[in-house]
Amino acid sequence: MIAALGLPVRRRPMLAIGSALLLAFLLAALLAPWIAPFDPIAQDGSIRLHPPSLAHPFGTDNFGRDVLSRVIWGARIDLQIAVLGVLFPFLIGTAVGTLAGFFGGWIDALFMRLIDVILAFPFLVLMLSIIAILGPGLTSFYIAMALVGWVSYARLIRAQILVLKTQDFAVAAQSLGFSRTRIMFRHLLPNALAGSLVFVMSDAVLVLLNGAAISYLGLGVQPPLAEWGVMVAEGQAFITTAWWITLFPGLAIVTLAFGFSLLGDALGDLLGVKE
Amino acid sequence: MSLLAIRDLEIRFRDGAEERLLIDRVSLELKKGEILGLVGESGSGKSLLCRAVMGLLPSRKLSVTKGHVSLAGRDITRLPEREMLDIRGRRIGMIFQNPTSHLDPVMRIGDQIAEGLCRHRGLPRAAAREEAVTILRQVGFTDPPRQARMYAHEFSGGMRQRAMIAVALACDPDILIADEPTTALDVTIQAQILRQLAELRESRGLSIILITHDLGVVAQTCDRIAVMRDGRIVEEGEKRRLLAAPQHPYTQALIASHPSLPHEEAVGDPYQPHSRPLIEIDDLEVSFPAGGSPWARRRFKAVDGVSLRIGRGETVGIVGESGSGKSTLARTLLGLQPVTSGHVAFDGSVLTLERARTLARLRREAAMVFQDPFNALNPRLTVGETLAEVLRVQGKVPRAAIPARVNELLDMVGLDRGFAGRRPRSLSGGQCQRAGIARALAVDPTLIVADECVAALDVTIQAQIVELFRTLVAAQGLTLLFIAHDLAIVRSLCERVVVMQHGRVVEDGPSAEVFARPSHPYPAALIAAIPSIDPDQPLAAAMPDPRSQTQQEGLLT
Amino acid sequence: MHRYRFVLFRPLQFLPVLFGISVITFVLVRLIPGDPARILLGTRATPTALARIRAQYGLDEPMWAQYLYFLKNLASGEMGRSTLYKIDVLPLIATRIEPTLALVTMGVLLSLAIAVPFAAISARRQGRAADQAVRVVSTLGIGFPPFWLGLVLILLFSVTLGWLPVSGYGETLGEKISHLILPGLTVALSLSAVLTRSLRAGMIAGIHSDVATAARARGLSENAVFWRHVVPNALVPTVNLLAVNIGWLIGGTVGVESVFALPGMGQLLVRGIFSRDYMVVQGVAMTFAVATVLVNFLADIVTVALDPRVKL
Repeated sequence: MIAALGLPVRRRPMLAIGSALLLAFLLAALLAPWIAPFDPIAQDGSIRLHPPSLAHPFGTDNFGRDVLSRVIWGARIDLQIAVLGVLFPFLIGTAVGTLAGFFGGWIDALFMRLIDVILAFPFLVLMLSIIAILGPGLTSFYIAMALVGWVSYARLIRAQILVLKTQDFAVAAQSLGFSRTRIMFRHLLPNALAGSLVFVMSDAVLVLLNGAAISYLGLGVQPPLAEWGVMVAEGQAFITTAWWITLFPGLAIVTLAFGFSLLGDALGDLLGVKE
Repeated sequence: MSLLAIRDLEIRFRDGAEERLLIDRVSLELKKGEILGLVGESGSGKSLLCRAVMGLLPSRKLSVTKGHVSLAGRDITRLPEREMLDIRGRRIGMIFQNPTSHLDPVMRIGDQIAEGLCRHRGLPRAAAREEAVTILRQVGFTDPPRQARMYAHEFSGGMRQRAMIAVALACDPDILIADEPTTALDVTIQAQILRQLAELRESRGLSIILITHDLGVVAQTCDRIAVMRDGRIVEEGEKRRLLAAPQHPYTQALIASHPSLPHEEAVGDPYQPHSRPLIEIDDLEVSFPAGGSPWARRRFKAVDGVSLRIGRGETVGIVGESGSGKSTLARTLLGLQPVTSGHVAFDGSVLTLERARTLARLRREAAMVFQDPFNALNPRLTVGETLAEVLRVQGKVPRAAIPARVNELLDMVGLDRGFAGRRPRSLSGGQCQRAGIARALAVDPTLIVADECVAALDVTIQAQIVELFRTLVAAQGLTLLFIAHDLAIVRSLCERVVVMQHGRVVEDGPSAEVFARPSHPYPAALIAAIPSIDPDQPLAAAMPDPRSQTQQEGLLT
Repeated sequence: MHRYRFVLFRPLQFLPVLFGISVITFVLVRLIPGDPARILLGTRATPTALARIRAQYGLDEPMWAQYLYFLKNLASGEMGRSTLYKIDVLPLIATRIEPTLALVTMGVLLSLAIAVPFAAISARRQGRAADQAVRVVSTLGIGFPPFWLGLVLILLFSVTLGWLPVSGYGETLGEKISHLILPGLTVALSLSAVLTRSLRAGMIAGIHSDVATAARARGLSENAVFWRHVVPNALVPTVNLLAVNIGWLIGGTVGVESVFALPGMGQLLVRGIFSRDYMVVQGVAMTFAVATVLVNFLADIVTVALDPRVKL
């Protein structure tokens, strides 16, 4: 099935396992209403805190909700966090990095100083401060991500562009009378993007962890929605008696992150990019 | 009895079912105090052979499958690692092509020498450090107590290679294996290092295996020469006999393509001082910021007061060692590098006055060929896409005719038309450089600037590319500006030669004259330092005192 | 010693960054919709208190003037008053620095103690079972959410085995250390996964490098080559990675402090956000930022000490 996507998975276990994991989570997210055995939100006081059993493989939580169903529904939100949380910073960062690297001068100086300042703040601290102002919620998380996350992409792309700009093929393009836009978009950017594509995968892991952490702290996704970080937070009070509420959503995060990491490593090998 | 004997050595690469023979029944001998030249192009297996002697095959997939190596009568081929450790460094020392990457950047030079002394001679640290200072003095360091405490990056390329020789000779080995020790160095420095090796042979009775791709390097330094190709020794013998009467066709080809032989006439129109020049350069200066504190910025003058006139159809070689400003001059001329002061004009339009107009003309009438052929082509585009893009942007050929023109260009540079669909990474260096030349020709230029465009290639490939330029210039009446550090190549291709040093032109005239009667001591020294293939020509005869040169280099830090 | 001269001059280069930090923290709080005086003092402030803070921060004046008031207050150590704790922000933060600093130090030291040996084992047995295991575990480890890992460790070591305290900080040094082991381990495990991968890559490159070949050609044993040449060269990029990740690491302590109820700055920040104690949020963000700048400065010094080629 994965081979059908045209990926060269033969003799590449990382690529095979990584894309299989991502595909599995994607399917779980898309098909949640059909494959989840129970309603993720409906409470049932008669089955509170049941340990894992055949009927409830991951057990039930303190409201009697099926943990497995909540983990499956959680894939919807957490995948969305990983994808959108990377997408906006990636677009902004690539644009800024390309402009700064290509044109240099005051544009570059201005953005680099701004990046220095943003990087002076610990990532999560600045995220939380922004969310503090915007108010808790997923939208605030995406806005904060876009405001803060672009800096790493901008730096990465800028560094690549600066190196590529001095390579002979870029000088050649200039000496052949190619326009600036042609050099930028056809010769520099495609070569620069290879490196950031690998970074996208490892960044997806960080974004996922951050999104879950912020939800865990109560500032992201709000209960009763099923999100893995929220579920860990809800299970924390019962850690001594009902460990399964906490364990399984955490494992889901680890597994999804593993998928992204493997895919990133495999892409790095494939594209010949070193981190 | 010979000191080192290699008998029927066979090395194979094995990876699963894949198996390749890399060294094929090689036999060689090295006598005490002898210098053996091992000559071959890249991929011939010459480096691998020497790694095998040291028991340092670079991969576990490689193994010696047959034959043996014996050192002073003792078979060392399958010696346990523990015993090999006592041979490496102590009996056989090794130096490498690129001292920058082989010296530890974060360990002081003196400590790297002392390391071997502690290991092999059991010296205590302090004594080993003192001994290191003595050894540095022997290989030409002028202030060894201070220099022993310095790091590799603080030395110039030549001094780094001397430091590596010091590291290798610290424990007084019987044999030194020198793997392309001068390839990364300028020609005058190369002569110094070769002379140093010859002196060490005299003073210590050292036996040396000198691995190189350049027959000129071995002609004057070695006693015997072995020529390798595809993992085999194709010919071996006493130096004079081998150079004078090569038996194997490959040896003959190597000798014939050696650039020091002025085997062909230069091409291009002779210098005509009265006609209107294509390029006029007046008192040009190009400088770069060279660090310094924000309130006292220093600037480095790469080109310092150069004036030059080049006529249509001329072939001009610009020669100089690294840092002489020759590449900066070329890039400035093409408007790729801002002018600090002075004037540059192309066919009557002055770059410094009418920048936009001159640039527009330059982009349509001049093209450049680069040193590193892989780096010079966009790795994501096929050769065909690269050529078609130039044709589309230049707009000199109607759109419909572009595919046909791409084929024509490939024909012109001697590439099969099938290469249009391939990306640079799947090409060899020579093929890649041909594609680079095709891209320059796609502009349909009057001027081609070639910047060190054969420096990264094997000699036989170099000869082919030079031949290609020769045909192109003759057929199309191009003006060629050929930048090189290799004077011999320039002599065989260019009708006129310009010699640069420290950003200035020190010599300018018809090649035949300059090479016969250089008027300035620097070009004279450069010409003398070319390793000639003639074994009777002394090594770097007209060199200034190497000691003073060394001191100058020490100041480079 | 001229290579260390930057230690004197570098702090001057911090000025623009510090200026930027002050602007951002200033703007953050002013972006909150509503009456700034009420935002700063909370909803139950008295009219006199409101009037006083308006004067102190020039809240009736234009934005740039307000920023100057803000700077002036900052210069005299005045960071406002916590509405939740009813004390000044500066002394409040001062009491919270120690646990966070101890946690970060513990995390970095433990992570190096974990990463160096594992990377070494992995790199020297490249492609074999031990290497595969280290690779899989470190790749997995990057995806461990620190807050969840902390809970799992509590479950394991505190609840099941009963070896270590569940949460809190303690009074004596011994208590503090025993309370810091699990949080420190939580931080270290996440960080060591990143470090192991980087170190392993650097060591493998080092083992196959020209430097190592030259050292072997001198007769050095594989052990000597590894520890004298490969490791020192591999440490340089790792320190850089550590410096780049330090912001991420410090931020990560926020979640860990919440899990272990460690009374550090992260916990202060989260409480501040929930109780709309904006002066505290502003102060903590600023302190974190200044700390990050200082840690990066420290990393620069270490880099210069490890790599003679680096000039700053």
